[in-house]
Amino acid sequence: MLAAQIMAVSIFLVMFVLIVMDKIERQWVTLGCGVLTLILVFGVGLHSMTAITETLNVKGIFTMEFWHISGQGEESGSGINWATIIFIAGMMIMVEGMAKAGFFRWLCMRLAKLVNYKPIPLFIAFMVMSAILSMFIDSITVILFLAAVTVELARLLKFDPVPMILSEVFCANLGGSATMCGDPPNIIIGTSMGYSFFDFLKNTGAIAGISLIVIIFYFYFVYRKELLKNEDEKIDPSTLPNPKEAITDKKYFIMSCIIFGCAVALLITHSMTGLTVAFIGTFIAILTLICFCRHIPELLKKVDYKTLLFFIGLFMVVGGLEQTGILEKIAGFIGDVSGGDVKLMVAIILWISAIASAFVDNIPFAATMIPVVKSLAATTGVHPDILAWTLSMGTDIGGSATPIGASANVVGTSVAAKNGHPIGWGKYCKTAAPATIIVVMISMIFIFVRYC
Amino acid sequence: MEKQMIISVGREYGSRGHIVAKRIAEKLNITLYDKNILKEIAQKNHADYSELEKFDEKPRNKLFSRRIGEFSSSMENEMANIQFEYLRAKAAKGESFVVVGRCADMALAGEKGLVTIFICADMEKRVARLMEDDKLSENEAKMTILRKDKKRKDYHDEYAEYEWGTADAYDLCLNIGDMDIEEAADFIISFANFKLKGIL
Repeated sequence: MLAAQIMAVSIFLVMFVLIVMDKIERQWVTLGCGVLTLILVFGVGLHSMTAITETLNVKGIFTMEFWHISGQGEESGSGINWATIIFIAGMMIMVEGMAKAGFFRWLCMRLAKLVNYKPIPLFIAFMVMSAILSMFIDSITVILFLAAVTVELARLLKFDPVPMILSEVFCANLGGSATMCGDPPNIIIGTSMGYSFFDFLKNTGAIAGISLIVIIFYFYFVYRKELLKNEDEKIDPSTLPNPKEAITDKKYFIMSCIIFGCAVALLITHSMTGLTVAFIGTFIAILTLICFCRHIPELLKKVDYKTLLFFIGLFMVVGGLEQTGILEKIAGFIGDVSGGDVKLMVAIILWISAIASAFVDNIPFAATMIPVVKSLAATTGVHPDILAWTLSMGTDIGGSATPIGASANVVGTSVAAKNGHPIGWGKYCKTAAPATIIVVMISMIFIFVRYC
Repeated sequence: MEKQMIISVGREYGSRGHIVAKRIAEKLNITLYDKNILKEIAQKNHADYSELEKFDEKPRNKLFSRRIGEFSSSMENEMANIQFEYLRAKAAKGESFVVVGRCADMALAGEKGLVTIFICADMEKRVARLMEDDKLSENEAKMTILRKDKKRKDYHDEYAEYEWGTADAYDLCLNIGDMDIEEAADFIISFANFKLKGIL
């Protein structure tokens, strides 16, 4: 067992280092390490075929519970979380369809027109829209379109796009924390621990809502001078874009709106209908492919397979830590340090998750911490929900502090730089790090008051 | 100029490579691209040039950057890429130009009119030049040269498959320590003409 544990930890550490070094594409890193886990940890170390089948977790896909749950949501076993992968793939296809129809660009332009292209109302409207869209759509897509439109509008309206992009990125991460499908760590937490869309909305959603109000005021006071610098400049109205021009095809646009509406409705009602996120993802993907039947190869080609492979490998490596009991040891350590004090436990998980997620990818961190949280709840008697919401807020929000903490940050800063507005670490952290601390503090106080 | 000619000049710090490149551009009456690429990009986007310059010709900090597909949180990467695209667009338009540094030898690889040059000079001569021009002590001059060369090498080698300054990676590596600027510029122009005519 000890040899297997050493191998599992070594593979995990090598995986993390290789991801950070970024020499080899991250999906090959996790898949390679995943295969090594199967061979070395389960095969050579544990001599356990059961551990391999449990980690690959393929059998689960062919059960009824994978697609439809009657009654209370169930916790999934260890290993590859296929529900997460299928759901993310389905949403990727839907989002590609929406992008092709011009939905996101239209929405951004429509909103800009609605606030008469005034910098401050635009700034607030884009922050709110970023948060709301990220509740249902991956933050990379949201920021990709919002940042691009922000740069375009900044050029026309002659304001600095950087404050707006940084605020949008922060709000995208915040919005993502509000729901089960907003951010990958939440999907993994939700499917692993059997939570519904509403469970997240009532808990992390409430924290995100309060935080969003505070953060809008924060960014307004921090950036108002920069945004109003060129307020008096005269703008030629004929140069302003017409939102309708963003729509590439009216038929596809209407269909993509309906599909998006269906996805939102299915997600909101899934605790009542019993349909799992795997079912919703599959259904939405099929629906999109039927509606965009002439563009099926194009849509399928645009799916981010690299991310899906990254997830598969990651779950295998974390499965190695889980099967060898390493994560139970970490849980035991946290339990000992906190001495069974729930508040201390919450504080440790929240701040460690937040700090770690600011520097390393929050997806592997969350995937690793879920078994820890489950084990901690089982051994100390603390309700698992409290620790789950804590982990969710820590990983989702911590990532906002630095340019590398979350995918949205990378995309946002990159889009700005590609358009001649580089955002270095200093410029990014100057406003984002204090904002992150504010939201983590709000989360901690909320969890203490409501659950402890 | 009948045929398109793109001269990419890599250079050691203190070798006078930039001055030679400038003289080549003047003699051929073509544009010289260097830091002015970022100046133009900054102007076009109403951005502050000093903000862009901070990340110019610098290697990516591997520990503190992350990449997602075509997006990178490394501003050094992004500034390099927008300059690569800028140069490729100029080359695609058929423009003749001289470009200094920026890993242009890699960015423009495959362009028909490309001639890649690497300019170097003996360390003593470079040190002496820096001591005279920048009023540095011998040690300071040497340290500056080593630091700047390392930065240029790290930046270049991040994008190119071959090492910065190695002879087989360029059409011509020229030690101009004992040459004056005019001689070096004329020599390179003659070489470029021969190469593009297929004589070399």
